[in-house]
Amino acid sequence: MAIDKGNGAPGGGAGASPASGGLYSDQHLRVSDAEREAVSGRLAEHFAAGRLDRAEFDDRVGRAMSAKTRADLRGLFAGLSETGAPAVPELPRGGGGTPGGGPRGPGSPIEFRLDAASGVPTYLQLVQQVEHALRLGYLKPGDQLPKVRDVVASLAINPNTVLKAYRELETKGLTAGRPGQGTFIQATLSQVALPELAGLRKSLLGWLTTAGAAGLDQDGIVALFTSALRDFHERRGDTGDRRGAASGETEGVA
Amino acid sequence: MTALTTPARPEEDAGLRPVPWRRMAWVTWRQHRAALAGVAALLGALAVYLWLTGLQIHHAYATACHPASSLACNINFAGRYAISVNILRVLLQAVPALVGAFAGAPVLARELETGTFRFAWTQGFGRWRWTLAKLVLLSVVVAAAAAVFSVLFSWYLQPFSAAGYSIPFATDVFDLREVAFAGWTLAAFAIGALAGMLIRRTVPAIGATLAVYAGLALATALWLRQHYLTPLLTTKLNLPASAWIINQWYTRDGKFAFPARGSQIINALQQYSCNSSQLSPPQCLTQHGYTWWASYQPGSRFWPFQWIEGGWLLALSVLLIAATLWLVRRRAT
Amino acid sequence: MNMNMNMNMNMNMNMNMNMNMNIIETSGLGKRYGSTWALRECSLAVPAGHVAALIGPNGAGKTTLLNLAVGLAAPTAGGVTVLGGWPAGSLAALDGIAFVAQDTPLYRNLSVADMLHLTRNLNRRFDQASAEARLAELGIPPKRKAGKLSGGQQAQLALTLALARRPRLLVLDEPMAMLDPIARHDFMATVLTAAADDGVSVVLSSHVLAELERVADYLIMMSRGRVQVAGEVDELLASHRVLTGPAGEADRYAERPVVHVRRGGAQAHLLVRASADDPVPPGWEAHPVGLEELALAYLREPGAAALPGPARGRTLPLETGQPSEVTQ
Repeated sequence: MAIDKGNGAPGGGAGASPASGGLYSDQHLRVSDAEREAVSGRLAEHFAAGRLDRAEFDDRVGRAMSAKTRADLRGLFAGLSETGAPAVPELPRGGGGTPGGGPRGPGSPIEFRLDAASGVPTYLQLVQQVEHALRLGYLKPGDQLPKVRDVVASLAINPNTVLKAYRELETKGLTAGRPGQGTFIQATLSQVALPELAGLRKSLLGWLTTAGAAGLDQDGIVALFTSALRDFHERRGDTGDRRGAASGETEGVA
Repeated sequence: MTALTTPARPEEDAGLRPVPWRRMAWVTWRQHRAALAGVAALLGALAVYLWLTGLQIHHAYATACHPASSLACNINFAGRYAISVNILRVLLQAVPALVGAFAGAPVLARELETGTFRFAWTQGFGRWRWTLAKLVLLSVVVAAAAAVFSVLFSWYLQPFSAAGYSIPFATDVFDLREVAFAGWTLAAFAIGALAGMLIRRTVPAIGATLAVYAGLALATALWLRQHYLTPLLTTKLNLPASAWIINQWYTRDGKFAFPARGSQIINALQQYSCNSSQLSPPQCLTQHGYTWWASYQPGSRFWPFQWIEGGWLLALSVLLIAATLWLVRRRAT
Repeated sequence: MNMNMNMNMNMNMNMNMNMNMNIIETSGLGKRYGSTWALRECSLAVPAGHVAALIGPNGAGKTTLLNLAVGLAAPTAGGVTVLGGWPAGSLAALDGIAFVAQDTPLYRNLSVADMLHLTRNLNRRFDQASAEARLAELGIPPKRKAGKLSGGQQAQLALTLALARRPRLLVLDEPMAMLDPIARHDFMATVLTAAADDGVSVVLSSHVLAELERVADYLIMMSRGRVQVAGEVDELLASHRVLTGPAGEADRYAERPVVHVRRGGAQAHLLVRASADDPVPPGWEAHPVGLEELALAYLREPGAAALPGPARGRTLPLETGQPSEVTQ
């Protein structure tokens, strides 16, 4: 994805942030779930980067999740300011921790790309790119997705495909359309306990090592994983889109 | 639901009015201005020539030809200008054909040849209305230009007619005169348009137009024109010069003897030694008991004949254009 | 949850009656030239609001079908109506359809500005301002003669003129045959943006399959003058699978609606008409099918067909088999 270095979407998001001049003027304001999650996400990035150890990370995330006002969130980033931005982050966007940092221009923070040869249906690629951007922080709640006609104009794809992708995102609860304005992110992906995520990753790496030692090459691993994932979903009675069940893995890689 | 919305259109289809006709004026002009310029150039150049030499002719006539049979008239007027006038009369025969072919044939042939009809005939104006507007506009312009030109030609010719060197019904003059000239130009245009639609290639259509026109013009001059009104019969020997004698023959004792051409009259003239006498063959033979008959059209019928010729040419043109329109409406590919 | 579909549209967002109409509807349509039938027994119902791709080999009858739809040719058999019931070639049809023929015919001696003026004079609606803006954006100088433009510029000019008429249906006959890849991309981007902005339905014919999957959401495949496949792309892809399994067992599935078989010594791939819910025989694997693979399979099997059922409507349920027309 191309990183849009512009400013965030105008008029969006819960709790528009004060400019850096009003650092402490809003400390009494209540914070939303979205903002708590956003802060947790940024803390996770710092943890992944190694600036916080496990104990500090758990502690700060715990405080973030129980914060009620902006004052409570103040200080969670003590010692973590990377770009010289003020200690209290400008919620919900701006400040340190944004990949590719810097001001964002009007329009959407992200830009879509299309891999025509990947075998993944176009609309699904768009959905995945939005989810990926959400995970990585390119997109935050309140950001606007690119306008349908802009996507069509730059990628030369069918507008119904874009609409289908945006509908899918709405169905998943990630976005909401505002009549006359566009489609906006309204939630983050359930960052299922980020500490757990790190743990899962570690055990996955372990399994991969074992699989590699057993003689499976990359494609074999993918095939094994894909079929196991399918069985798992079938057993769970997952009624989601079959083709998309593996979140983008193509079925039956032969 | 996968489809996009179709926004409401401000105009509803129920009251669909066609695009106004006047829009075709610019379209016709822009697409055919080369042909129109060519026609203008041709007629214009000829008009300039007619104007300049016509002034000279009128001047010479005014100074030398009173009376018309004087020697001075013969030398200064007829001798100087007769040849060029005669050449001109022949050359001008080609003008309606050229104008008609080069203005008429490309209208449809070029569209069909280059494939641009796939653009023009899918526009909102509609295929046959487009054709009708173009053909009507162009034919009116072309016929009007021809009419103006022929008025100039008549003016140019007038001294010759007055001096008796040209009769109004002369074959190569009649069709250059006012109404007939416009009619022939119009007919050539209509032939060209139809040829363009049938043949679908510009150059062959032009060729076909010229050929058909030539055939029609010859047929009219040699045969059809005489019969517009029933010719009058006379035995008077001194018909006025303006009369157009169509047929002459001799009778004897009320029975047909021989025509005024051919081997029989030659024998008769020899028999009666008419060749050596001062008398003209009719006068000579009359003295020997033959009656000379002629069927003719009097000079007074010149204008009725012009209108008749113009009339049927107009009817033919309308018919050909209607046929072209019918073809356009019926089929394209 | 807000299910408002009309995102990012500038124009008035009312779902009017036109949504349910068929943009092109034919019944038993046929066209004969001399003694050859260029098109036979063509019965289609292409819904509005889609980008429909008409594909097939040369000589399949694509141009004939398009010519009939825009009124350039008259049918020998059957009939065709457009824009929800107007006869093809009628004034209403001409008004609402913009056609760009093969090799983009333009008047070579007219300048670009003259072409604009000409098109404006010949139509009821013409958006001069947007056309001029678009041409300026593309860098096409208004004074240059149309014949002197490059192939890509000519195609873009023809498209600009067509879209400036604000049609409801845009018909393109192999518009990109002469274009290089960048020009093709720009051309399709323009077409699709018009579809996104104004809801223009598009029917375009092509024999380049690769780009269709991104672009088309309705597919019509023709072969030898007959329609082989017609339906929404999503439904077509959802109703076909490739079954991969032992070559020896391939013949066992004679009764299933098999479209195309490809065999190796031990392994065979069957392209069948089946949905994701259909059980996969034991020992076989099922894969989803891409549009290009599907199209190629049908092109290789002229006897096979995937046509909508007799009910004419906006949503065309695909039937899982017309066995008599399907070969193994």
